[in-house]
Amino acid sequence: MFSRERPLVIGVLIAAAGAMLAGRTIGAQGVKIADPTSVVMIVNRDSNDIAFMDIKTNKMIGNVFLGNNVNPHMVMMSPDGRYVVTGGTRANKAYIIDTRTLQLIKTIPTDIAPEHLAFSPDSRWYYQGNPDGDSISVIDMQSLSKIKTIPGFVEPLNVTFLPDGSKAYIGNYGAHWVGVVDVRRHELLKKIQIGSMPAVAKLDPQKYLGEIKGINIAAPSLDGRYLYAADSDLAIVGVIDTREDKVIKTIRVGRDPWRIYMSHDGKYGITANNGDETISIIDTGSNSVAATLEAGPAMTGVNFAGGKAYVISSTSGFVYVYDMSSLKPAGRIRIGTNIQLETATTDTQDRKIYLAESTNHEIVIIDSKNNSIERVRNVGLFPWGTHIMDSKDNYCH
Amino acid sequence: MKCRMDPLAIAAAVVTVVFGAAGPLAAQQPATQAPMNMANMDHRGGIRGTVRGANNDPVVDTAVTAVDVNTGARFEAMTDAQGAYAFPALPVASYNVTVVSAGLTAFRRQGVAVTADQSLQLDITLDAASAAQAADAERQELLQQVADLKQRVTDLEANTVLSEPETRVRRVEVFVDENGQEHDEQVPGSKRVVTYQRERVYRRQTISEKVEEALAAAEEHSVKIGVDAAISTQFAKRTEGSDPLIDDHAYALASADLFFTAGIAQNTIFFADIVALSGSPPDAEIQSLTLLNGYTARLERQNELNLREVWLRTELFGQRLALTTGRLDLTNYFDKNALANDESTQYLSDALVNNQMLGLGSNGTGVAAEYDPKNGFRLKFGLQQSNDEATNLSESLFTLSEVGYTFTPFALPEGTYRLWFRTDNTSDSIRKGTGLSIDQKLTNAVGVFARYGTQDLEGDGRDHFWSTGVGFQHGVIFNPQDTWGIGYAQMELESGDREKLVEGYYNLLLTERLRLSFHLSHVLDSPAGGDKFGYLLPGVRLQAAF
Repeated sequence: MFSRERPLVIGVLIAAAGAMLAGRTIGAQGVKIADPTSVVMIVNRDSNDIAFMDIKTNKMIGNVFLGNNVNPHMVMMSPDGRYVVTGGTRANKAYIIDTRTLQLIKTIPTDIAPEHLAFSPDSRWYYQGNPDGDSISVIDMQSLSKIKTIPGFVEPLNVTFLPDGSKAYIGNYGAHWVGVVDVRRHELLKKIQIGSMPAVAKLDPQKYLGEIKGINIAAPSLDGRYLYAADSDLAIVGVIDTREDKVIKTIRVGRDPWRIYMSHDGKYGITANNGDETISIIDTGSNSVAATLEAGPAMTGVNFAGGKAYVISSTSGFVYVYDMSSLKPAGRIRIGTNIQLETATTDTQDRKIYLAESTNHEIVIIDSKNNSIERVRNVGLFPWGTHIMDSKDNYCH
Repeated sequence: MKCRMDPLAIAAAVVTVVFGAAGPLAAQQPATQAPMNMANMDHRGGIRGTVRGANNDPVVDTAVTAVDVNTGARFEAMTDAQGAYAFPALPVASYNVTVVSAGLTAFRRQGVAVTADQSLQLDITLDAASAAQAADAERQELLQQVADLKQRVTDLEANTVLSEPETRVRRVEVFVDENGQEHDEQVPGSKRVVTYQRERVYRRQTISEKVEEALAAAEEHSVKIGVDAAISTQFAKRTEGSDPLIDDHAYALASADLFFTAGIAQNTIFFADIVALSGSPPDAEIQSLTLLNGYTARLERQNELNLREVWLRTELFGQRLALTTGRLDLTNYFDKNALANDESTQYLSDALVNNQMLGLGSNGTGVAAEYDPKNGFRLKFGLQQSNDEATNLSESLFTLSEVGYTFTPFALPEGTYRLWFRTDNTSDSIRKGTGLSIDQKLTNAVGVFARYGTQDLEGDGRDHFWSTGVGFQHGVIFNPQDTWGIGYAQMELESGDREKLVEGYYNLLLTERLRLSFHLSHVLDSPAGGDKFGYLLPGVRLQAAF
């Protein structure tokens, strides 16, 4: 029986079905990354984008172009996995990407030359260091806006939040102190001097006045109670008690330590001493140097995987390997010749290392099980660093 | 009543709707074009009015200024005897209108809109309220200008970069097929070929980054020159023996090494060391078994340049194997004890710098091979002509072999343990020697070393040498990079000659390039069939290296 309502009902049903199908299609197309832990993020300096690689298949999922001449420096995912952020060094802006859709959703002006950054543990605050602006830009991740610029730093390189998020510690490469920031008020509270100048400093003005190489980062112990800050010029590591914000011990290491990297079990910290091409392995139990071992030139990073430490020698094309149970050299991996190695991240299983190799625009995956390597080519121009959510080796140069 | 629409009628209706809607749009185009043409014509507007004082008297002969907010174009009109002013023909725009009286802005109205073909009436009263309002507006404008200026400076600082695309040449692997065509991916019948290709690099660099890069590139291709100059002064006070001629004497020896280093091929460098020495070391007078000043070994002729070393070094097999060939000092590559191996920064006495049983007195042509897989083990082998006077290599052949291992024993910091073996056929028979060398850190600040060496005299017995000591760094020191140590060495020769030597030194790092060290050593020699003699030798060494 034909009724006058039937065409209307059919039309409504068809329209509803169409809308559902259309909605489903749009939704499936919109979500590029459902699981934020499933990707390796790659920051490409020269193609000005953040690339995303599937960690299981090593296939590129997509990339987010940031703009011409942005030159992003470090990429990081918020602890809640919602956002991926980077600082565009030559654009003086912070870029916020939606992880699910890989859409650039916000561009926020910062101070000059934003490079390294960190999130507060609750994902609320994104601190962007501006080494050329001597400041930290505080970005509220709820409103996705810059709420403050904290001045008073000297080439701030890296930011470390305490596990409870109450304080942040800033390494100043242009000075010999670590800045303590009150995260509630976003204010610089204290300056912790890591070490004093040696008495002979006045005899060597070229060394101390010509160029300063101070503190790259204050790296935390596992529980966050202590911070380890290597001072390059002074060739020491200062151990900071975060309860009192004071240096409780200084440990002398090799010449020109670039920074310290903490092992995943918290037992050791390794400084990459570019002055004498050694590494100093610091026992965090006794806060003393357990071993000083030969390494390579121009070290840019240390990763831990499979009970070993992998030290990246950027200009030699080698990754040096050390057995962390016996604290002795365990060979080196040849990545290539006439290439430039950058930095790397380690997966959350502590097995594979994702190393950026900028000359050939590739990511080199080192399997710590047998030290074999696999290359993923054409990830973007001049990959500068990598990042995996929840990795314990998320760092930049 | 059921209403059925005929399909043709529906189609007609759709066409009517679509094209009917388009029809008026098309018809409006001339109409919309007309105002555009009108806008291109020079239609102006105006502002007129009066300027009066607080008491309502006309303000005469005073300038009223109108400034175009967007272009900054400035217009001025004077008030007449009635206080009237007029801008009869202003371009259509928004204007800031001000009146300055007695040097102060007495009135300011921002954003006065002038529309075409209309004259706006703006009557102005110069009173306290208008002056305050004008001052506030000016302050706001000034603040905005400061903010704009600050932003421009920031932009300028940040954007002083070289942003043109640059190029670099990259080594690439391609695949070439039978027809000589190049492919990025492998195709059937193609061969992998290495070639070089230019690529563009899109990066903004600051001027300082660019300059740094250029300097680094220039340095990489240049011949690097290094200098190591030292002067060591020693005094000898006899403590044993009766030789009246050698007592309370002062000695000084100056040494200058000039190094040249250049990279000449992949993983291959050229090195040359030219040395000149001048002066009198204590070894010129005191006939001890070992040299009391390690620099004396370099002294061949006074005040003359001497080509001490010149060699090529290349690294093969993934840079695991290093080969060095040329004129060299083979002992430099063996028994490299971390705490007692360098007369320029550690002990001055040769007995605490070298193992005396290595037995090589001079530099010569040779080859050194070092295999280092970077896993703690090291294997070394070398051969060298041991006698400059020899007419062939086979009759003056000195060989050295060494195995070394670096590890962290017994929860101690790192230590290196070496075992070496050498042969020398300079004499009628092949003389063999073996030795052991250990340096072991006890803590990050304290390390110990020990050496032992012996040589077989082919049926005539054996000579023995050993040394031991302790070294300090990173602790119990004045300055962070200072080092000091105390060492003891003893030599016992089959011939009956004996020597015991002890030395302590403190090496003060004055600057990165300048070191000053203080030494105190005592040597006691007991020659076979001769009189025992001993000397106390305080000394100072000043060393510059750059």
